[in-house]
Amino acid sequence: MRLIKREIDRVDGPGSVALMPEEPEDMWHLYNLIRIGDRLRATALRKIQLNTSDTGSSKSERVRTTLTIVVNKLDFDPQAGQLHISGRVCEENQYVEVGQYHTLDLELNRKLTLFKDEWDTVAVRTIQEATEVGEKSEVAAVVCQEGIANLCFITDHMTVVKQRIDVAVPKKRREGVDGHEKGVQKFYAQVYTAMLRLFDFSKLKVILLASPGFIADGLKKYIFNTATTQGHTLTLQSKPKFVVVHCSSGHVHSLNEVLQSPEVKAKLSDTRFARESAAMDRFLQMMTTDENRAWYGMKEVAKAVDQGAVGTLLVSNRVFRNDNVRDRKRWVKIVEEVQKQGGETMVLSSIHESGVRLDGLGGVAAILTYPLYDLDEAEEEIEENANRLERPGEKVDVEEEDG
Amino acid sequence: MPRHKTDLSAESYDYDDDYEEDDGMTEDDRRQMKAALKQVRQTIGGDIPGVTDADIEETLWYYYFDVEKAVSYILKKHTKASKPKPAPKPKQVVVAGPAPKKDDVGQGFGYGFGARTAVEAGYFLDAPWGNVPTERLGCLIEQLPPVKMGLVGGSGGPKTSKLAALAKARKEKKLAEASGAAEPTGGKPLGVTKERPSISLLSRLSHKSSASSVASTSPSPTPEPSAGRVTPILTTNTNINDKDKTPIGSPKRLQDLDQPRSPVVEEEKCDLKAFKEDLALKAVPSSFATSMFGSRLEFEARFLWADTKTFDILTGKEAAKVQQGFSGPSPDDVVETAQKGMGGAKAKADKNGQADGKGSRDSGAKTAPSPPPSPKLPKAKIDVLKAYGESSEKDHVNFVVVGHVDAGKSTLMGRILYDTGAVDERTLQKFRKEAEQIGKGSFALAWVLDQTHEERSRGVTVDVAVNKFETEKTVFTILDAPGHKDFVPNMIAGAARADFAILVIDASTGAFEAGFHLRGQTKEHTLLIRSMGVHRVIVAVNKLDSVGWDGARFEEIKQQMAQFLSNAGFNEKDIAFVPCSGLEGINVIKKPEEGVIPWYTGPTLLEELDITTKYARPVDKPLRLTVSDIFKGGAQNQPTVYGRIDSGYLQEGDVLLSVPNKEQVTVKSIVINDEPRPWAVAGHNVNLQISGFDELHLRAGDLLCHPTSPLQPLKCFQLKLLAFETLTPMAVDIHRGHLHAPGRISGLLQTYDKSNGTVTKKKPRHVAAGNLASVMVELVAGAAIPVEAGMKIVLRSNGQTVAAGIIEK
Repeated sequence: MRLIKREIDRVDGPGSVALMPEEPEDMWHLYNLIRIGDRLRATALRKIQLNTSDTGSSKSERVRTTLTIVVNKLDFDPQAGQLHISGRVCEENQYVEVGQYHTLDLELNRKLTLFKDEWDTVAVRTIQEATEVGEKSEVAAVVCQEGIANLCFITDHMTVVKQRIDVAVPKKRREGVDGHEKGVQKFYAQVYTAMLRLFDFSKLKVILLASPGFIADGLKKYIFNTATTQGHTLTLQSKPKFVVVHCSSGHVHSLNEVLQSPEVKAKLSDTRFARESAAMDRFLQMMTTDENRAWYGMKEVAKAVDQGAVGTLLVSNRVFRNDNVRDRKRWVKIVEEVQKQGGETMVLSSIHESGVRLDGLGGVAAILTYPLYDLDEAEEEIEENANRLERPGEKVDVEEEDG
Repeated sequence: MPRHKTDLSAESYDYDDDYEEDDGMTEDDRRQMKAALKQVRQTIGGDIPGVTDADIEETLWYYYFDVEKAVSYILKKHTKASKPKPAPKPKQVVVAGPAPKKDDVGQGFGYGFGARTAVEAGYFLDAPWGNVPTERLGCLIEQLPPVKMGLVGGSGGPKTSKLAALAKARKEKKLAEASGAAEPTGGKPLGVTKERPSISLLSRLSHKSSASSVASTSPSPTPEPSAGRVTPILTTNTNINDKDKTPIGSPKRLQDLDQPRSPVVEEEKCDLKAFKEDLALKAVPSSFATSMFGSRLEFEARFLWADTKTFDILTGKEAAKVQQGFSGPSPDDVVETAQKGMGGAKAKADKNGQADGKGSRDSGAKTAPSPPPSPKLPKAKIDVLKAYGESSEKDHVNFVVVGHVDAGKSTLMGRILYDTGAVDERTLQKFRKEAEQIGKGSFALAWVLDQTHEERSRGVTVDVAVNKFETEKTVFTILDAPGHKDFVPNMIAGAARADFAILVIDASTGAFEAGFHLRGQTKEHTLLIRSMGVHRVIVAVNKLDSVGWDGARFEEIKQQMAQFLSNAGFNEKDIAFVPCSGLEGINVIKKPEEGVIPWYTGPTLLEELDITTKYARPVDKPLRLTVSDIFKGGAQNQPTVYGRIDSGYLQEGDVLLSVPNKEQVTVKSIVINDEPRPWAVAGHNVNLQISGFDELHLRAGDLLCHPTSPLQPLKCFQLKLLAFETLTPMAVDIHRGHLHAPGRISGLLQTYDKSNGTVTKKKPRHVAAGNLASVMVELVAGAAIPVEAGMKIVLRSNGQTVAAGIIEK
C-alpha cells in the first residue's frame, strides 16, 4: 500500500490519510483500518437516473464519480481479496444527494482517502505496517495427506485456503494394490492441476509441500516427472522453490507446524508469522509448565495488565475490529499501557494461523513476568455479582450500540 | 351389459299376460316415450344395425326419457362389441354370493373383467413376464368384479327417479298379487331384489323373448364357477414350478411370479408345507444371476402389497389360516436360507414363522411404495438375529497388531500367515528374492502384508493391512497397523475394528526403551487401543533371538509393561506375555525346540490367540457400519464398500443410508472373508457390493445405517475425555476409526476427580495431562461428522494424541 498523504496532527486527534492499495493483502489492512463511523472517499461506479425527456421516460447511466460516505458496514472476502464498504453519502455532488446509500467496492491502484475523528495508536501502527516498503514474502503451501490436500496462499498477514481437494483413495487390499496406486496417482494429478491453476510459480518465493509420511515426497516427484514429460518449463525453472516439509496431518491447522519448521524459516525473508507462531507456542508451553504465568481471556488479561504483570501481550486484530467503540478503545488503551510498562505487544492477524489459534482462546492472551493466582476465580465472583445486577434491567448493552 | 337381459324372466311367470292391462306406464309416460323414441332414432340414424325400437325404449325407460344419455348408451353398447350378448356370466352369480369385502378391492377394474378372464385362462402365459407392467401383474391376483348395480353408463348406478320408483312400487304390488310367492328371492341382496321388477318390466318393453335367454338363476353361489376361476391360475403355477426345476430363465422373473402366486396356492388348499418342501428341493437362482438381476427390493414390496389384497378376498377361517401360514418368511426365503447352507435347523425355525419387531422394521426400510399396513405384514427377509444365534460357524475375531515402529509387527504377522498356510511357499520365495535384490532380505515376511511400492522400498508399513487365517475354532482377521508416528491415524482406523490387540515389543537392546519412552509409539498405541475399547492385549516380546533368549530381559520387559498396562487400565487377567521371534518363527506357531527357551513353558502365540472368549456383539442395536474403504472390485468391477459392522446387522437387499451425505445405497451382496453371505452381524468385517450411489459422495469414515434408525450427524458435541496432553481451547484432529476431521476444542466445561468422578472445577482454563474433563468440540466450518453419543473419539494435535474420550451428547 502506498501512503500518498498523511494529515494526522497528533495521536487520538482527527485527521485523514490518502492511500493507494496495490495488492490484495492491502484490502485486509484496510479492513482492519476502516471502522464504522469513519468517512471514506473513493471513486465509485454509480448508476444514475437521467430524466431526459418531457414524456417522463427516463434512462439510466453508469457514471464514475468520487463519493464520500460515512461507513456503516464492511464486508471482506479473503479468498477473492475484495472489500465492500457500504454507507451513506455525506458530500453532495452532481449525481448524488446527501443521505443516499452507496456501497464502495474498493479497487486496487485507485486512491482513497480515509477520515477519522480519532486516530488511535493501533490504527497508526496498522498504517505503518501496511505501508512498509520491503520485500513481501509470498508463500504457497500444499498441506496434504492421502486423499486430502489444502492449497493455501500465505502472505505476511493472511493465510487463504484457495482450494481444498478431497479424493477417496482406495486402500491397499489383499487382492492387490492397483486400486491404491492408481488412486494416489490420480490424487497427485488433481493437486498438480490445481496448483498450476491457482499459483503463479514465477512470483512465489517458496512453494511448500507438507504432509505426514511420504505423500509430499511423492507429490514432488510426480510434479517434476509430469513437468518433464509435458514440458512445463515454468515448473521446472521453479524447482529450487519447492520445499518438502513434514507435518502431522493434512488439515489446514497443521500449517503452524509447517511455518515453524527450520526449512521454511531459512527460506523466508520476513519471519513475522514465524515470530507470531513462536509467541503463541511459548504461551501454550507456559500453560503447561507454569500455568499462573499464562492467562487468556479478556477479563483475566485486563486484570493482569492492571497489576503491571504482563510481559508479552498477544491480541488478535479481531479485537480492534469490534463494532463496540467502548471495548475497542479500552483495548487500545490496554495495548498502550503494556507498551508503557515496557512489555511486548503483538497484534496477530486473525486470518493467519497463529491468529486463529489466539482467537480460539478468546482473542487475547498474555505471558506474565511473574505469576498471578486466581485471576479467574475473582472474576467469577464479580461475574456472578454482575449477573445479579444486570438481570433486573437489561439496558446495559443498548447504550453502547451506536458510535 | 344390463343384468335384466340375462337373468330376468323367472320361468314360472308369464309377463305377457298382464302386458296389455298395465305395464307400469302411465299415459303420460307412453307419450313421452314415443316422442323420445323418435328423437333417439333421429339422433342415432339408421346406420347401426340391431338397434330395435324395443332396445331404445328400454334404455329410455331406464334413463327416464333422458334422450342424451340413452343415445350415448345405445351407441356405446351397439358399436362396442361382438360380445355374445346372451352368454350367461358366471361372474354375476358370484356377485350374489356371500358378499366379499368389496371395498378393499381396487375400483379400477370396474367394467373390464372380460380381459381379466383372459388372464385367468392363462392368456398371458407365453408373454415375457419380466416386462409385464405392475398393474397387469396385479390382474393375476384373483379379483372379484364389483357388484353391478343397474346400468353402467351415464346415469350412475341404481338411482331412479321418483316416477320410476312409483312405477316400481306399483308393479311390485301387482306381482305380489298376481303370482303369490313365485319369485325366488332368497339369498339375493336387497338391491337386486328391488330392481328386479323394473327390469322385467323393461324386458317386456323390449318385446324380446325372454325365454330365449338362458334362464338359470341360482340363488346361492355355486362352487363350480369359482373353481373354474381358480383353475387357470393353478395352471400357471404348475408352469412356474416347471421353470423352477430348470432355472434357465432369469431368476428375477421367477421371483416376480413366485411372490404373488403363493397365496393363491393357499386358497387352493394345497398343503403349504409340502409345497414349501417341494420348492426347497428345487434350484434357486445362482448368486451370479442374483447379482445380475439384483434388487429384490421392488418385487418384495409388490409382494407385500399383493398379499394384502389376496388376504382380503379370503374370508373368515380361510383367511385366518392363510395369515397364520404367512406370518413367517415366504417359502422362497426359506429356500434361500436353506440353500445358503446356514444349517437346516434354522430354516426349519424360519418355517415355523416368527414375526418379530425387527422384521417390521426391516420392511419399513423399503423405498418402494409402502403397502397398507392393515394386516400384520409377513416378514419376507431372513431373521438375522435368529440365524446368527443358531449358526454354528466359527467365530469371527479381529485383532490389531500394534507397537513401536520396527518392532517387527508385519514380520510376525507374515510369519503367522506363512506358518498357518495362508501364504504359500512360492509367494514367499518370490518375496525373498525380490527383497534381497533391494537389500532388505529380512523384510520378506513383512512383504506379505506390506504390498505397496512405497511400503516395500521404505520398509515401513503405511496403512493397515487386512488378512485372515483360521484355526480350528476361530476365523481371525489380522489388522496389521503401522507403527510409525506419522501413520497413527491409520493405526486408529485399524484399532477401531479390533476385538483385542497384540502389542509387539522389540526386545533387542535399546529398542524397547526407544518405543517405551515418552514419545514412543508403544505407549501411544497402548493408550489408544485402551481408549478405543480394547480390553485384552497379548504382549508379544519379539526379537528375543537377538538377545540370545535372555530370560532376564523378558522378565524386565514384562515387569515394566505389566506396570504400565495396568496403569493404562487393562485388567491383569486380560494381559498375556509371550516371548517369540517372528523372523525365526520360534514360539509363534511352532513350539520352540527343546532348550531354546528353557525358562518359558507357556503357550505359543497362536495358542494364546486361540484362548479367546466369544465376544458379545451389540447385534440387537441399530445398524452402524463404519466405511473404511471404497473401491471397485470383483468380477464386474462393482463399487464395493469395506467396513466393520459396529452394531446391528444387515442382509442382502437392504437399503442403507450413508451419513453424513444422506445417500441411499442398496446392498447387492455381502462378502465376508471372500465368502458370499446372505447376512452379516456386528463384529464382521464385510465387503458390501452396493448399487445406487455416487462414488464421489462416499468417503472412508462415513457411516452406513438403516434409514429407519438413522444417525444424526453432529457439528458440535460434548466429549468426556482423558487428556494425554495439556488441553486449552485449540485446534484438533478428530478421529473415529477411519473418520478424521479438523475441529477445535471450543470450550472446557469441567474437570472431574479421577477417583470418584466428582466435578473438581467448572470452566477450567486448561486441562492438565492425565485429567478427566468434559469439553465442547466443534467441527471447523460447520461440517457435520457421523458420530453419536456413546462413540469413542480420539483427539490429536501436532502429531500427538492429546485426548481420547466418549461423546456425551
